[in-house]
Order: sequence, then C-alpha cells, then structure tokens
Amino acid sequence: MKLDVNALGTFYRMAREGAGLAAGRLTHMTGVETRVGVTKLNFMRGREIRRDFGETDRVGVRVKLSGAIEGHSLIVFERENAVRVIETLLAEADPDADFDVDSFDRMSKSATTEVGHIMNSGFIDGWADVLETVIDVSTPEFVEGRTADPFFDGIEETPDDDDLALLFQSRIEAVDTEISFSYYLFPNRTSMASLLERLRASGGIEYDKLDGFDRMAERGAEEVAKTATTLTGIDTSVEIRRLNFVSLETIPQQVPDERLVSVAFEFDGVPSGYLVFLFDEESAHEIVDAMVPASIDEDGFGQMGTSAIKELGNIMASGFLDGWANVLDTAIDHSTPEFVHDYGAAAVDPVIVKLGANQEFAFVFDTVVVADGREFDCEVYAIADESDLERALNDLDVDRIEETPTTAEFQEVDTV
Amino acid sequence: MKTYGSEPGAPSPVQVGISELAVSEGDDTLKSYGLGSCLAIALYDPDSEIGGLAHAMLPDGDAAEHNSDRKPGKYADTAIRALLRRMVERGASYTDVEAKIAGGSDMFEFDSFGDGVGKRNVDAAKAELEKLGVPLIGEDVGGAHGRTVEFTPGTGRLVVKTSDENESSVSEL
Repeated sequence: MKLDVNALGTFYRMAREGAGLAAGRLTHMTGVETRVGVTKLNFMRGREIRRDFGETDRVGVRVKLSGAIEGHSLIVFERENAVRVIETLLAEADPDADFDVDSFDRMSKSATTEVGHIMNSGFIDGWADVLETVIDVSTPEFVEGRTADPFFDGIEETPDDDDLALLFQSRIEAVDTEISFSYYLFPNRTSMASLLERLRASGGIEYDKLDGFDRMAERGAEEVAKTATTLTGIDTSVEIRRLNFVSLETIPQQVPDERLVSVAFEFDGVPSGYLVFLFDEESAHEIVDAMVPASIDEDGFGQMGTSAIKELGNIMASGFLDGWANVLDTAIDHSTPEFVHDYGAAAVDPVIVKLGANQEFAFVFDTVVVADGREFDCEVYAIADESDLERALNDLDVDRIEETPTTAEFQEVDTV
Repeated sequence: MKTYGSEPGAPSPVQVGISELAVSEGDDTLKSYGLGSCLAIALYDPDSEIGGLAHAMLPDGDAAEHNSDRKPGKYADTAIRALLRRMVERGASYTDVEAKIAGGSDMFEFDSFGDGVGKRNVDAAKAELEKLGVPLIGEDVGGAHGRTVEFTPGTGRLVVKTSDENESSVSEL
C-alpha cells in the first residue's frame, strides 16, 4: 500500500468537504448558524486513539460503509456536547419540551442517533462528491461508553496498538457554542489500498514508512522534553504528539488567539523546513525565572529573558532535530534562533507564506510539552518542506525504524 | 460551506481566515487575526457602503500552477479581483472603490526567506491595484511585528492593532 501527497490531498479535501456538508445539515436541522473550524488529517496509533478516549462519557453513531470505501465510520461526541446539540434540536422542535439532561433516555438516544447519522451522511456525501463515486451507508447504530471498547467492538479492522490509522478531525463552530467531535474512519485495508492506488499521482511512499515519521516525531518530542527538564530544572513530559497532514493555511489558525512567545528556526538537510516553539506568556516568564534566578521583573522579557528563552529554544531545537537525524541516519543543521513576542499566529504565518509558494499541504509534527505542577506549556510545530520529506522517507530503511530504540512513553502528568 | 455573511444572527465580527475573503456592507465588521507576512486587503465603495476584506497568503495567483480559481482569497492579485467582482455584483460602483492594506511583515531573517516573504505580498497587491486603477488610500505594512485588523465597510475604517514585545497599539487607517 503506497501513498503520496496527491492521495493525502484528496483525503484532506474529503475531510473538509465532508465537514462542510455535515455543518450545513446541522444548521438546517437546528437553525443554529455553523462554520467549519480547523480540519486535519491525523495519523495516530491504535494505542493513542484508545488513550484519547480516556475516561470520559461519550456517545457516538456508527455506520458500515460499502462501495468506494469499505469499512466503518464513527462519529463520537463527548456526552455533554451531544446533550447540547440535542437540547438545541429539541428546543427547536418543541420549545416547551422538558429535556432531562441527566438521563440519556430513549428519546435522547434516538435524537443523537438522528443527529449523528445526518452528520455522518454529510461527511460521506462530501467524500463521495470528492471521489466522484458512490459510497453506501448502513443503518446507524448508537454507541455509548467510557472507553474506546464499545465503540470499536465488532469492527473487523480497528487499528491494533501499533497500527497507524488515518483520522479525520474537524471542528464545527456554532454561534455562542462549539460543537466538537471526532470522526473516525476505519477502512478495510484492501479497500484503502485500491483507493490509494487510484488517487496516487506519483510513485509515492510505502504506507509502512509512515512508521518512520511517527518514530521521528516520537524521538523529537522526547528530546525536547528531556532538554527542557535539564535546562530549566522543571520536570516536563510530552502530553500530545501528533502527525498531522493539513493544508498550510490551517496551521496558523490552530495557534491560540493571544500574544505568545515564540522561538523559530529554519533547518536544512533532508528534510529541510521550519521549527517553531510557542510558549504562552506565563510559561515563558516561569522559564526565565527558572533559568535566570536574578532576573528583574519587567513587563517584557528584557535582554536577559530573551536570551534565556532563545538559548532554551536553541538546545530544544538541536535535541528535536537530532532525534529526527538519528531515525533518518542523516545530518540536519539549524539556524540561529529568532525570538518573537507577538500574536502567536504572526510567528507562524511567515513560514507557511514561504512554503506556500511550492506546496499546498504540509506534514506538521505537532507536540505539546507540559510540566508537572508548574506552568510550562510549549507547543512545537515542525513544518517540513514537502519534496525533501518525501525524499527523506523514501531513503529511509524500514528495518532501521525497528532498530531505533523507542524510549519515549506517554506519561500521565500527576496532579499535585 | 461557509454559512455566515448576511444571515441574521451570524457571528460578529466575521472572521476572515487565511486564504479567505468576505464581502459585506454597512456596520458588519470583518476581522483577520494575527497577520505576520500575510496581507489584509480591504476594498470599499464609500457611496454604497459595500466593502470586503481578503486575507491573502501569497503574491501571485496568475503564476501559480494550482488552485487560484478555487480559492481566489489565497493570492493578493486574485483576491483583489474577486473582491471587486463580488462588490460590484452586490451593487458597488467599480470606479468609486478605494483600497487599504495592512500586514506583510517580515518577522524572520532566515536565509531561505531571501528579500522577505511579506514584502512580496505588499508589492503584488500594489501592482494589482494600480493595474485595475483602484486608488490605495491607506497602508500599514512591513516591519517585523504582527497585526490584527478589523474592517467596517460602511465607514471604510480599518483598525490595525499591534501587540509585540515593545508595545501594544491601535491605529486607524
């Protein structure tokens, strides 16, 4: 099974088109104005998907697909979110209806199933439009639970712990409220392989080599956390690590809407690209305090604070890229750090403006490092030049992936 | 599908994300957040109070191989033409339209960035406006800081906010 940027681009368009139709139908149903937020394609291991479900009450609707895509798709809401949607829906239908939020009774189950199914159909119709084909959908099935198991039960091909699955992630925003949900597609492998075969425009890379990506991301993230801990004395760990495939313009849009402290680098080698570390102001101050004990409290970060953060960024960048270089068995150099204390998005958009001249999409290695009991939130965006990345992966010896030791483990952060 | 715009109860102000554009009229505000090297292009017709905002990412759609038709807002040149066309369709008078631009910073001095990626967006927008005979009556471009803009078609006010290490400021074009 091989894939290329063209095939992934088509999947991305499917996700966006599907989310658009789903949002439109939600508007139609509830009368609430909606808009599609960020859409991403994620590659996640089965283990991480299960971990993502966590211990939260969720409800979902599952259907079986046949035709151009065979497999299952699943729309999952946090229970609270589903309740909000249904309240809106029932209030629209009958303003006097007394809706009992606590019990998920028969009526709310059937309402959820209806909403879920209509949104599900929106997604699938969007995909069929993009693929110019027909996808058939089975009768919807209501699922609820606190772990992934009830949602995955009975699906022949859910990803095993180590399998990389392709996930469609979308957010639909409504006036005054945000309806977030996850959307999972578990295609049968043979069906996926023939679809990819059809969409591919170039030689492409073996799907299994994406393991290399994931291992790179893992090693890079681990190095960042380790370096941060060594340098600041603040005990940090990797909270989120994702490999996203997104259209370039999506990247600044997912940066928090506030003033942030960023340290940016360009890196050169196979692959080349840009690396940006983003800290919220509070975390940046905490870091300066930890690194420069005698620092004077001032509004900005001053010369001492700025150079401390640049220094931390510099060492984190070296760690991150060494992690990559190890997996790829190559050398990757990086520039001197650039410090920006400004709107967060403004520190990311120059990178996509630069890359946008030659590519429409990017693989983004998205990492969040957090500290135990102290403020240290750092988002890391590594955005690679597409052609270099494809080359790097093609050169990658799959056997080597297996040999590169994995030491990074997700840690639950203990709350003090 | 973007369902906001003229419907009652639509979110206000309307967010214009990267590569998007929106046309509106009167007191509706259009907002683009956190521009770095991207460029906000605001066009409006003072008489009809019809105007639009584009959040362009790249300079030259005519030269791009892919996708400028599907997403005219992505490129400075195609964004200006699309804004004009949609405004005229809505009742604006082409010859009365005026322009304001903001953004196009060069935040980084990376080798790979050459003379600056923000400046290219500014140059492309100015060239296209000149070609189409649309007067540029206000600009706040360049530098090395981010900007957030809010545009009101009815008055033609383009409010530019900055918030970098040195200072936070609000100015009006």
